[in-house]
Amino acid sequence: MGEVIPAVVDVQRFSLHDGPGIRTTIFFKGCLLRCAWCHNPEAIRREPEMAFHPDRCAGEQRCAAACPRGAILSGPEQRIDFTSCDACGRCADACHHDALRLIGRRYAVGALVSEIVKDRDYFEESGGGVTLSGGEPTLHAAYLGALLPRLAAEHIHVVLQTCGLFGWDQTVSLLPWIDLVQFDLKHMDSAAHARLTGAGNERILENFARLAESGVAVEPRMPVIPGLNDDPENVRATARFLARHGHRTLRCLPYHDFGEAKLSRLAPILAPLGRPRLDPAALAPFTHRFGKEGIDVVVCD
Amino acid sequence: MSSSATEFRRAAIPSSRIARLKDAVQQAAPAVCPERALLWTEYFANRANRAKPRAIQAAEALALVLARKRVRIHPDELVVGNFSSKRVGGAIYPELHGVAMLREIATFPHRRVNPLAVARDEIAALQRIVPFWAPRMLGFRVYRSPWSKATFLREQLAPRHYILNELAGIAHIVPDYANLIAIGTSGIAKEARAVQRRHGTASEEWAFLEGVGIVADALARFGERYADAAERLAARESDPARRAELALVAATCRRVPRFGARSFAEAVQSITFAQIAVNLESLDNGISPGRLDQLLLPYYLRDCARGVLDRESAKEWLAAFSIKLCEVVPVFSDTATRMHGGLMSGQAVTIGGTDRAGRDATNELTYIILEIADELRMRQPNFHARLHAGAPHPYVERVAEVLCGGANAPALYNDAVIVPALRANGYTADDAQDYAVCGCVEPVAPGRTFGSTDASLFNLPIVLELALNEGRRFGTRRRSGARTPHPSRLRTMDDVRAAFETQLSFQVERLVRDLQAVERAHRKFHPTPLTSMLLAGCVERGTCSTAGGAVYNGSGVQGVGASDTGDSLYAIARAVFAEQRIELPALVDQLKRDLPDADLGAYLRGLDKFGNDQPEADAWTAYVVEVFTRTLGAHANTRGGPYTTGLYSMTTHQYFGSRTGASANGRRRGAPFASGIAPADGMDRAGPTALFNSVNRIDFESVRNGANLNARFDPHALRGRTGRAAFAALLGAYFRRGGMQLQTNVLDAGVLREARAHPEQHPHLLVRISGYCAYFGDLTPEMQDEIIRRTEHGVGGGMGASSGTGPA
Repeated sequence: MGEVIPAVVDVQRFSLHDGPGIRTTIFFKGCLLRCAWCHNPEAIRREPEMAFHPDRCAGEQRCAAACPRGAILSGPEQRIDFTSCDACGRCADACHHDALRLIGRRYAVGALVSEIVKDRDYFEESGGGVTLSGGEPTLHAAYLGALLPRLAAEHIHVVLQTCGLFGWDQTVSLLPWIDLVQFDLKHMDSAAHARLTGAGNERILENFARLAESGVAVEPRMPVIPGLNDDPENVRATARFLARHGHRTLRCLPYHDFGEAKLSRLAPILAPLGRPRLDPAALAPFTHRFGKEGIDVVVCD
Repeated sequence: MSSSATEFRRAAIPSSRIARLKDAVQQAAPAVCPERALLWTEYFANRANRAKPRAIQAAEALALVLARKRVRIHPDELVVGNFSSKRVGGAIYPELHGVAMLREIATFPHRRVNPLAVARDEIAALQRIVPFWAPRMLGFRVYRSPWSKATFLREQLAPRHYILNELAGIAHIVPDYANLIAIGTSGIAKEARAVQRRHGTASEEWAFLEGVGIVADALARFGERYADAAERLAARESDPARRAELALVAATCRRVPRFGARSFAEAVQSITFAQIAVNLESLDNGISPGRLDQLLLPYYLRDCARGVLDRESAKEWLAAFSIKLCEVVPVFSDTATRMHGGLMSGQAVTIGGTDRAGRDATNELTYIILEIADELRMRQPNFHARLHAGAPHPYVERVAEVLCGGANAPALYNDAVIVPALRANGYTADDAQDYAVCGCVEPVAPGRTFGSTDASLFNLPIVLELALNEGRRFGTRRRSGARTPHPSRLRTMDDVRAAFETQLSFQVERLVRDLQAVERAHRKFHPTPLTSMLLAGCVERGTCSTAGGAVYNGSGVQGVGASDTGDSLYAIARAVFAEQRIELPALVDQLKRDLPDADLGAYLRGLDKFGNDQPEADAWTAYVVEVFTRTLGAHANTRGGPYTTGLYSMTTHQYFGSRTGASANGRRRGAPFASGIAPADGMDRAGPTALFNSVNRIDFESVRNGANLNARFDPHALRGRTGRAAFAALLGAYFRRGGMQLQTNVLDAGVLREARAHPEQHPHLLVRISGYCAYFGDLTPEMQDEIIRRTEHGVGGGMGASSGTGPA
């Protein structure tokens, strides 16, 4: 079953910034990229995992008594021996202070649909719906293949947020069920893309082009990471790429470091980027450069 | 609709006059005003008055207060009338509950919560009246037998099961100001005289109507005292502009409230005098001006058409009136402060809604009052906005704009639920469609309802405590409830429910017996001729409102702690009967000992709670409300009206919590209950849509005395056009699904700082950033600071950037 039903970090209702209207955002676990600025690092691994919040720990050691594998450490900063932890979650159940948490819950398709339709009236009233986010939702194409027709039958608007790195053949069959794809373009230069995210961009750009042809509505988005992808050269290349595929608008997500606090709570997965967050007001020159290339920038935060 | 309605001036700076008046009131330290208490004593201590009928005593005592209280006209004032001798002050009503306040009066200036200034000679003067009133105060007169008296007073001095607010007075009306401004006190007195001729001079009716005549004239003379004062001030005034204003004030006060108002200004002034006088009659609580946008509209339109008034000056008059309502504060003892918090006098102004025929009644004054609520953001009045299916789009949008901007007022009311609720309560369709909010959240018919909407607050969780312990509170041997089976003999959830319902019936019967005794004492000892002459029915019938003279006569009883009770029942169903984790007697033993088993406590706290859209958990809170309403509904008050359920708690959820043992939802002994119909504190974790879905599992049409849901929002989420659209949609869906009322609380940076310091108390705070997933409490302190910074910049329109979603 674990292969079929993906783990989900959270089902976040009343999301207002992940597509139009009031939305329920599903954060799927699992991602092929390792973006240096990742703000949901708990969604990178596919499998459920434990997280430890040292600031909440009262040192009562209930976790140690509960763990069947002896995977509880006594250090102040890290409580979990990730080499032997199998994320059974018993320590989290034992903890009275919510200091240990199991990240990743599996929803059968029917259960997720029931969770989603709870807010149907709010979707209708606001023009909202569901946003598939993550992680990378397209990793779970088979599951989505079962979920999306059910959502369509419930007349629920669906947004897919993707990094673009997916197998076209598995994903194309999902497109008829999707109302809008929010597609991230992180860097136009493949070597730079590989350096920043762990993978080249050839497949991503190709998927973007094919999506544009497929007729599904696409909103290109770009996380703006100062000094990493906001240089004039990348801006020009991005703008031209967008223009070539008929886009006039780009949604920009200014870099913030709110994901970094999460890193130390997890089994090591990324190094902190260690950069200050980007003040949206400082985006003016960047926006201006895009403007000169004929692309309007909408700043999201 | 005029063009000005379409252009909303949220940030408009109030006129400098309004700014100065606001400053003067906000800077004044709230104080106790002894005048009302001393003059009342002077009247009743005079033996010559003792043989008179009570209605005449009450009328003459109020007339004495209105004739002798100090008259002050403050600089800049156009709307005149002082509630008390202090700029911001409160009266003491020694004949009701005031004597109990006087026990503590020397501590008022120094106490930590809500200090009230009172001078040493005032303290001495007030303490001197205690011996006179102690045996005469209402609480002593409720029961005649010494035993009943003692039992009753012992319970009510530190109540655990229910609080009888009626001991301090009934008040809580929306007076018939439309009639007052139309025909003046002279018109009302004339009607009273006409009816009086039909009754013999020895009859109760005759005396009551005589009392009406006395207070009608006293109110008129009260206005004329301001005419005299304004003329004196004008004579001394060197500034010609101010002199002209004072002349206008004098002319206005010469006319109203004795005669019908001829202008907008006279109408506002007439209402102001009546508002002051009604506050002085029995209790300064819940005296609600009502639908000002409806009753003032004809005067506004006529004056604008005549060219003697424009939108800005009407707004200035209404703003001055609003500020005036902050000049009165309730004087509470420490105990009362713990129950009622803040300095809430509950003067409610209602805007929007429909006319009596159900047609949309939104008008220019609606928008003006909305602007005033937003721009002044003061303690009083309480602004309430009605919403209905035919409400115009700009109105809904503007309400959303004001609330998303962080005003926290108006509170919102759903006509689609409230009108049928009032109909079910026996209101005619016309009267139900004309409802206004009284006090906190209670819907009534303006000028027709003597509703005692705040008669009592009832502790629901303690009923479950009694049910689990054979009718005894935890830790006591005395039985204060019915005899129900020992927990070992409660073998199914049905048994638990049966015990709960038995205890509930028992407590409600006790409550009703006490309330009826208090009602009879009010009727006998404390008639209210002024209140009565401002309620349709009383003069016609020659019957005081305390005796059932008004058209509608319910009493509201607030169920406090409904979600704690529902969650506790759910926890028992799960822990004892479904999962069989613990036997009921062992659980009760744990609760008696304040949950010493930490694992059990954590388990109980971790169970599903009301407010998170979990149908099974929510059903239990809905059950508690339903069974409370049903039990209460079996009784009628002595004025012939029903007892109705309210779901709001003031601050009694803290007070009752402090007097109640541990509960099965994991709440420790003495910890507060949830406020109003909110989830138990901090237990709503799934956001507002989930919260609303849970709340909508309650049948609000049966909650006829009103409910309060206070929903908290992160200002970041609600900013900009997208935020407003989302809020409007949220509200639209919530009301469409049967929500009754909503008060929003857009969190300011202060709350977020508090959440930073005490994250465990604010687990519900969500952070909404595109594609990002976290709760506020999970951010590092440094990141929390960043969110706080954003909040500070976000509110007030500092950051206008689109939040990046498409048009909603």
